[in-house]
Amino acid sequence: MTAEPGTTAAPPLSLAQEVARARRRRRIVFLRRLLGHPSFLIGFVILLAFVMTALLADWLAPYGPTRIHFRAILAPPSADHWLGTDGFGRDILSRIIHGTRVSLRIGIFVVLFTGILGTILGTLASYISWLDGLIMRGLDGLMAFPGVLLAIALAAALGPSETNAIIALTVTFTPRTARIVRASVIVVQQMQYIEAARAVGAGHGRIVFRYILANALSPLIVQLTFVFAVSIIAEAILSFLGVGPPPPAPSLGNIIADGRTYIQEAWWITVFPGLVIAVAVLGLNLMGDGLRDVIDPRQHSTRDTGGR
Amino acid sequence: MRPRLRQAGLLRTLSTTAILALAAGSLAAPGAMAQVHGGELVFVQGSNPPSLDGMATSSQASRNITMNIYETLYGLSEDISPIPILAEGVEVSDDGKTYVFTLRQGVLFHNGKEMTSEDVKASMERYRRVGATANKLDPVRDIEITGRYEVTFHMVGPTPTFLESFSSPRAPAVIIPVEDADTEAGRNSFVGTGPYKFVEYVPDSHVTIERFDDYSADTRHDSVDGFGGFKTAYLDRVIFRVIPEPGAQVAALEAGEVHLVEQIPMPAARRLDANPDIVLHENMPWAFTTFHLNLAEPPTDNVKFREAIQVALQMEEIMAISSEGLYELNHGWQYPDTTYWAGDIGLEYYNLADAERARALLAEAGYNGEPFSILTDSNIPQHGRAAVVIAEQLQNVGINAVINQVDWPTALNIRLQDEGWNGWTLQMGIEPVQGPVAMIATLASPARPHFAVPDAELDALYQELISGMTVAERQETHKRIQARLYEIFASIKIGDSGLMQAGRANVKGFVPYRFPRVHDVWIEG
Repeated sequence: MTAEPGTTAAPPLSLAQEVARARRRRRIVFLRRLLGHPSFLIGFVILLAFVMTALLADWLAPYGPTRIHFRAILAPPSADHWLGTDGFGRDILSRIIHGTRVSLRIGIFVVLFTGILGTILGTLASYISWLDGLIMRGLDGLMAFPGVLLAIALAAALGPSETNAIIALTVTFTPRTARIVRASVIVVQQMQYIEAARAVGAGHGRIVFRYILANALSPLIVQLTFVFAVSIIAEAILSFLGVGPPPPAPSLGNIIADGRTYIQEAWWITVFPGLVIAVAVLGLNLMGDGLRDVIDPRQHSTRDTGGR
Repeated sequence: MRPRLRQAGLLRTLSTTAILALAAGSLAAPGAMAQVHGGELVFVQGSNPPSLDGMATSSQASRNITMNIYETLYGLSEDISPIPILAEGVEVSDDGKTYVFTLRQGVLFHNGKEMTSEDVKASMERYRRVGATANKLDPVRDIEITGRYEVTFHMVGPTPTFLESFSSPRAPAVIIPVEDADTEAGRNSFVGTGPYKFVEYVPDSHVTIERFDDYSADTRHDSVDGFGGFKTAYLDRVIFRVIPEPGAQVAALEAGEVHLVEQIPMPAARRLDANPDIVLHENMPWAFTTFHLNLAEPPTDNVKFREAIQVALQMEEIMAISSEGLYELNHGWQYPDTTYWAGDIGLEYYNLADAERARALLAEAGYNGEPFSILTDSNIPQHGRAAVVIAEQLQNVGINAVINQVDWPTALNIRLQDEGWNGWTLQMGIEPVQGPVAMIATLASPARPHFAVPDAELDALYQELISGMTVAERQETHKRIQARLYEIFASIKIGDSGLMQAGRANVKGFVPYRFPRVHDVWIEG
C-alpha cells in the first residue's frame, strides 16, 4: 500500500483515510437530506425548543414551580400569570416549564434503557438460536398486556416516584423494541458480508458489534423516537392517575390532574399543559417520520408506536 | 336551631339567605310550606358505603345512609347535646352506677314487630361484639331487662360522660331486632326503626331505601332535632348514588339527573351560585383540619423543632387552599360557642407565620436539614392540599419537607408505625362534635395517640376529664388540656373547614347536618 517511487502527484490517500473521507461525505449527505426533510426539521425544532426549555427552566420560569400565591388562587391568565394559576395559586407557566424537565428526563431514560435492553435482548434472541424461543416468548407474554395498562399496574405496585415511572415504562416498551431489533438482526445476519466476516475468522463480538448492529440499528433509532413520544404521553397518564412523580413536583400529567376538578371553572390549568404535551408529541412524531424516510426508506407505512 | 354562618368569601351572602330561607321553612312553622308527598330523590356521594350494618362501621359514607334507616336510644340534637330518640328517658342513680332507660312504646321495626327491651339488650350485646367503637360500652358491666319497655345498664363505676359518648353517631349504637343478635358484622338484615327501610344495595352504583309507612314518629317534638325529633318521610324512595368524580357529580346535578350532592368543590359552588336551579347548602363547621407530628421519629421528637413548625405555619393560607375557601380560623380543640370552648388559650402560637422565630427555634433544636416527611393521601383532597401548602411553608423556613402521598388505607397503616413519617395531615370530622372526651381520646392513652408517643401529663388530664363530675369541672380540665397541647406541639390545629353541599332548587326542606336527613325533604313540582 505504499506509493510507488517516482510518482509526483499529491500523496495518495491510504485506504483508511479514503474510508474516513467517504464516511464523512456520507454523513454530510445524510445530514443534508435530514435537514432538508420538512417534517424532520419541524420536529427537530420543536424538540430543541422543548429541550432548551427544560435546561433553562430556572431562568425561564417567572416564579418557582411550587411557590404559592395565596391571593391569586385560580386566577385566569393575566399579565402577572401568563397562563393563570392553579388551586394553590401556583403559576401554571412556571409549573409547565419545570414540568417539561420531568417529561424529558423520563423520556430520555426510558429511551436509553429500552434501547439498551431491547438491543441486548433482540440481538441475543436472533444470534443465539436456542435463546430465541425463551426470550421472545417471555416478551410475548409481556406484550399480551395492553401497554399503558401494564405501566399503570407496575407503577401502582412500585409506588409513585419518577424512578418507578421510568422502570414501569421501560418494562412496557422493551418487548416491542427487542422485537424490532431481532427482526432487523435476522435480516442482516443473512447478508453475505457477515458470512465473509465469519469466513475470515472474525470473532462473535466483532461480528455482532462491528457488522450486525452497525447495520441493523436504523429501524431501532426510528422506533426510539416514537418510544420517546409515547413515554411523554404515558408519563402524563401515570401522573394523572396519581402513580407518577409525587406532588408538589410539577409534571405535565399532574398539572392536568390538579386541574381536573376545576375544568369548568379554570380551563387554563388543563388546557395549557395539554397543548404542550400535544405539541411535544407531534414534534417527536414528525421527527421520527423524517428519520425513517431518510435512514430507512424501505420501512414505509407500517410503524409501531409502541403503545396501542 | 340557627345554622352557624361563617366566612366563605363570595358565597357568604347568597348561601346565607338560602340556608336561612330553608331553616325558616322547615323549622320555624311546620306546615307553613306545602309539603309534597311522594316522588323519588337521588342523593350523590363519592364513595361506596363499606357496610350498611349501622353499628359496624364508622364511615361517613355509611352513616349518610344508615342514619335514615336505624335509630338509637340516645342521639345528638341539632346543637350537639344528647337527647332521647328511641328512649323515653333515662334515670341515673345518685352514685352514677345504674342507668335505667325507659323505651318509647309502640315503635315498630321495618319487619312489623314492636321494639321491646329484649331487642335493646340484644342490640347492645351485639354492639359489644361487632360495634366499630365497641369501647364506648366499656363502662357498662351488664345490661338487665327490667321490664317490657325498660332496660337497666349496670356500670363498672361512675362515668359522668357516659351519655355523651353513648349518643355518639361515630358508629352509632343502633337498635336492631333481636333476630339479628347473633349475626356477624355486616350480616344483619338491615332492619331498623327509622323512617326509611332498606331495599337494595348495588356496590359501585347505588343504595335504595323506601318510605316505611308504619314509622312511629316521635311525637314529643314538633320538628326534626339533630338525629332525633319528629321525622316525616315525604319521599317514596331515596337512591344514594355513588359517583366518585366530583366533576361528574356537579355535572349530574346541573343536568338535573340527581337532586342533592354530598359535597361539591368550592369553585363549582361559586359558579353555581348564580344558577337559579341550584341551591347551595353550607355545612359549617364540618371538620377540624389538623396536622399530627410523630414524637417517635427525629427530628419531630424534639419539642423545639415542633414549636418551630407551629410558629412557622400560616394557618390562613393552609385553610384557604385546603378548604378551597370555606373555612374559619380556630386555634381551639373545640368549636367556638360550644360548651367546652377554651377561649384564647394557645392563641399566641396560632397563625404566626414567623419565619425568624422558627429559624431561631430550629437552630436551638440543632436541626441540620434532616428530611421531614409529611404523610398524606390522595383520596381525601383536603389532606393532600394541606400537605402541599405545609411543605411549601416549611421549606421557606429551611425545613427539608418532603411529601409522601399514598392512598388512604396505606396512610392509616403507615401512621401506626413509629418510623417512616414525621407529620400527618388529617381532617377530623366527627370527633370534635362529640365533645372533648371523644376529641382528646384520639390524643391520649389508652388509645395510641395520633402523635405516636403518649404524653404522661396529657394522659392524666384525660383521666381527669372523663371522671369530672360536673360540666364546670370538665370545662376547667379541658382548658388545661388545650394549654398542654400548646406546650407539647404534638398535634397542630390548623383550622375549621366546612362542607359545601348543593341541591336542585325544587328540593325543599333539606337542612345540612352531620348526615343527609332525607326525611322531612320533599320535591316540589
